[in-house]
Amino acid sequence: MNRTEPENSNHWGPWSAWRAQHRVAAVTSWQKMVARPGATWLTWIVLAISLALPSAILLTLDNLRETLHGLSGAPQISVLLSLESNLAAADALREDVEAWPEVAIVSVVDRARALAEFIESSGFNSLPASLARNPLPHTLLVTPAEGLGAQAVARLATRLEAEVLVAQVVVDARWLERLEQMLRLGSRWVQGLGGAMILGAILVLANTLRLAVDARREEIQVVRLMGGSDAFARRPFLYTGVWYGAGGGLMATILVWGFGLWLSGPVNALLLLYDRPTQLLWLGPQYPLALILGSACLGWLAAWWVTERFFGH
Amino acid sequence: MIELDRVSRRFADRDALRHLSLTVPAGQMAFVTGHSGAGKSTLLKLLLLLDRPTGGEIRVQGDATHLIKGRAVAPYRRRFGAVFQEHRLLFDRNVHDNVALPLEIAGFSPRDITRRVRAALDKVGLLARERADPASLSGGEQQRVGIARAVVARPEFLVADEPTGNLDPGLSAEIMALFEAFNQVGVTVLVATHDLGLISRFRHRVITLESGHLVEPNTLP
Ligand SMILES: Nc1ncnc2c1ncn2[C@@H]1O[C@H](COP(=O)(O)OP(=O)(O)O)[C@@H](O)[C@H]1O
Ligand SMILES: [Mg+2]
Repeated sequence: MNRTEPENSNHWGPWSAWRAQHRVAAVTSWQKMVARPGATWLTWIVLAISLALPSAILLTLDNLRETLHGLSGAPQISVLLSLESNLAAADALREDVEAWPEVAIVSVVDRARALAEFIESSGFNSLPASLARNPLPHTLLVTPAEGLGAQAVARLATRLEAEVLVAQVVVDARWLERLEQMLRLGSRWVQGLGGAMILGAILVLANTLRLAVDARREEIQVVRLMGGSDAFARRPFLYTGVWYGAGGGLMATILVWGFGLWLSGPVNALLLLYDRPTQLLWLGPQYPLALILGSACLGWLAAWWVTERFFGH
Repeated sequence: MIELDRVSRRFADRDALRHLSLTVPAGQMAFVTGHSGAGKSTLLKLLLLLDRPTGGEIRVQGDATHLIKGRAVAPYRRRFGAVFQEHRLLFDRNVHDNVALPLEIAGFSPRDITRRVRAALDKVGLLARERADPASLSGGEQQRVGIARAVVARPEFLVADEPTGNLDPGLSAEIMALFEAFNQVGVTVLVATHDLGLISRFRHRVITLESGHLVEPNTLP
């Protein structure tokens, strides 16, 4: 009786066998894909577009949110004092206001320093000469206590306005609130669009894989007939799915990166306009990694789904 | 040893096998014959668990096949080599890779695979065609590749369903001689064929079916 026993020639055990089977499945499915470059590129490109568009928008929103986070969490109140008030009075008021429970920090901007800064940033070096006197008042910059709602901030502004020395109170939170609102709306929009496009990506993958499975139907039957496990018979298709997915993810990364380069100029300029010196953080390593791995997982899942009618019960 | 105990396979409108009982001892070579529709293919499919009996019991080396289910099916099938009339080679890979498939399934090392594939191809006289595309081979050569694939992992049992159906008599005799050679090294061989002329040229047990019944009594040659 000569039973089939994989013989142990030099360290060849079940683990090596399993690895060898994976290697063969991975390599042969890759070879089958590159043997049909037209169909493979087409799948990769369609997949890349479906993934790149929502990723790019998501990335932009992410970056904007991060950059604006510090600001929007604590809207600042600029309290312009009357021109007659002197620095000592401003300091006294600062101490008073800082004691209020709804206030976190108060700083005084000296009118002389404010003018100097303005001159420096504007480049009007000849300005002091032409001005009879400094037109800027002393200013208090009030940061409300953390977690103060928009209504409470408004009440705080009214309370500040009631102070004798105060000429005008400017709450610069309105535009931030609106931007927050828009970002939230944008996220919703991206979630919807992204969901639809990822569904599209899965369908494209599933269709390509279904054709691959149909073309190799005979192979599945023969493998089973010869005692191949379902896992063995399914493996080449799962690898095909992974290759399609990873390739699409890689191309999507390249698209998003290109889009980022193209977009980062205007976005950074916009941020500077809003006096945010932070540059747009662009494409940390987590984005390509997430795109490629996520897309490979999508491919794997799509392949699992498509082969389910052969291997499911 | 293969034992069939009152095995039936009933389809909606007919019985492919009816209360079939027979024993094939380990190491035997037997022909299963009968007219078209007699139940030969059904018998082999039941053995390979490609189909299940509607009655009775099949035991292979004492293991009742109705207890072999799910994940146990694949290892059970590896104990068989199977040859078909339509040889069922995969045309997307060369001769070597076709023959290598059962060894990959069984988890042999690449070195062992190469060695065994070449040995099997040598036995069927096709070592020189190792790298050939199966589609470029003649019918007889394709069938011999199918046989090499069936025996390469050294199964306990070799079953063949009309393996010479498409071949001329000379080639058919060559194929049968190959089966005989594997039987001589201890493999239990079961060949289904309706070619009585071919069977008469060999001295092996003949199991004759007619409408799912056993005609010839279960005798050894
Ligand atoms: N899947 C099936 N459905 C219905 N009838 C079948 C099926 N398979 C086989 N049969 C019937 O069972 C009988 C035996 O078939 P088969 O075993 O293929 O015969 P043989 O191989 O001896 O020619 C035939 O009458 C055939 O029509
Ligand atoms: Mg038949």
